[in-house]
Amino acid sequence: MSTLLGLVLEDAFWSAVAAVGFAVLFNVPPRLVWACALTGAVGHMLRTGITESGGHIVLGTLIGATVMGFLGTLLGRWLHAPPPLFNVTGAIPMVPGVFAYSTMIGLIELAGDAASAEVLVDTARNGIQTALILAALAGGITAPRLLLQREKPVV
Amino acid sequence: MSTAPLTPLSPLQNPTPHAMPSAMDRLDRAALQDVVDLSLWAGQLVMQRGADSTRIERTVHRIGTGLGCNWMDILVSPNVIIVTTSSGDEFRTKVRRVVRIGVDFAALAAISKLTHQVMAGQMDRFALRAALQAIDHQPAHYPRGVVVTMVGLACAAFSQLFGGDAPIFFVTWLAASAAMFARQALQRRHFNPFLVVLGTAFVAGLLGSLGTVQDLSETPRVALMASVLLLVPGVPLINAAEDLLEGHVVMGLVRGVNGGLTSLAIAVGLLLAMRLVGVEGL
Repeated sequence: MSTLLGLVLEDAFWSAVAAVGFAVLFNVPPRLVWACALTGAVGHMLRTGITESGGHIVLGTLIGATVMGFLGTLLGRWLHAPPPLFNVTGAIPMVPGVFAYSTMIGLIELAGDAASAEVLVDTARNGIQTALILAALAGGITAPRLLLQREKPVV
Repeated sequence: MSTAPLTPLSPLQNPTPHAMPSAMDRLDRAALQDVVDLSLWAGQLVMQRGADSTRIERTVHRIGTGLGCNWMDILVSPNVIIVTTSSGDEFRTKVRRVVRIGVDFAALAAISKLTHQVMAGQMDRFALRAALQAIDHQPAHYPRGVVVTMVGLACAAFSQLFGGDAPIFFVTWLAASAAMFARQALQRRHFNPFLVVLGTAFVAGLLGSLGTVQDLSETPRVALMASVLLLVPGVPLINAAEDLLEGHVVMGLVRGVNGGLTSLAIAVGLLLAMRLVGVEGL
């Protein structure tokens, strides 16, 4: 149990660092960067906790992103800033980047001599993982909007 | 007096408002021209800087109605926003082409604040125009060198999340920082966006394979995997999924295709670098 806790805390630290780096890239005002570190750490840490205890990565992403989505909405109210600042920046550590470009590398390999049934299965798996993780991420981020702010359409 | 229908029509069915404004409240054509221009400008600014479709529509709508229009009809399409403002019997329509600039959350926050001020009636058209002008020309909060270092550090943090060791942390930091520097240089020269990504991934791949060539570490490939992550189109992909969820299907598809092509450009740049250095497989 304590090893899991240690692992999750280390994970939270590096996720926070990654979120801060992207907050700078996205020009988040300096006074709000700490909040991006917080959402980044909370989301990814929950996901790692779930996958390390045997849960599926898509389920982990959905739970991590949902908690992060509500946290980002609260932070947005407290700090008078739009929630995507915290939600989207905080989601970056959970974006399936390696899955996304591994899918493309797999597709390129499938066109060459290295093509095999194994490559095909890996590529398909990577592609489907990318799509499902993204869907879970977006579902979690929009959960507060979908559940709490059901405004009538403006257009 | 005819009897009014018991159930009020939804705004979608009936774009003209239920309570017509008195002649005093109506905007004349010159004022409407200003309103359509300002609301479209605000919509363009948030679209260029990484807002999802719902936020774009809401910004345009709130500014238009906050400035005294009765209704706004808004079409957000991948490269264009079209807005019709109406006040009483008058209406005006304007089309604006929008090219993507890049994510800038400071600008999104500033425009969100302006929108609330306009809705609260604390800001008129003239003040709004000056404020939008200021946001459009606002310099970034962080100097280029800081961005290069911090983005490199973010990728180095990813290498730790993937189980890399200490040497890999520093190889990734170096490779990703150099890649970010290259990305800025290519962007400033207005290369095609996919070429920018391809070139940047190539630089990241060359330096990221240092670990595999020099036998620095037990986990050399982690540096390759992590140092291209600065290129992953996180915001377009998240916005794509959000747009699809909220019914903006065309916007979602276009953003998704762009995200996919960007991932392909990352893969090609990385593969080229790996072939050149002689690394096989990730």
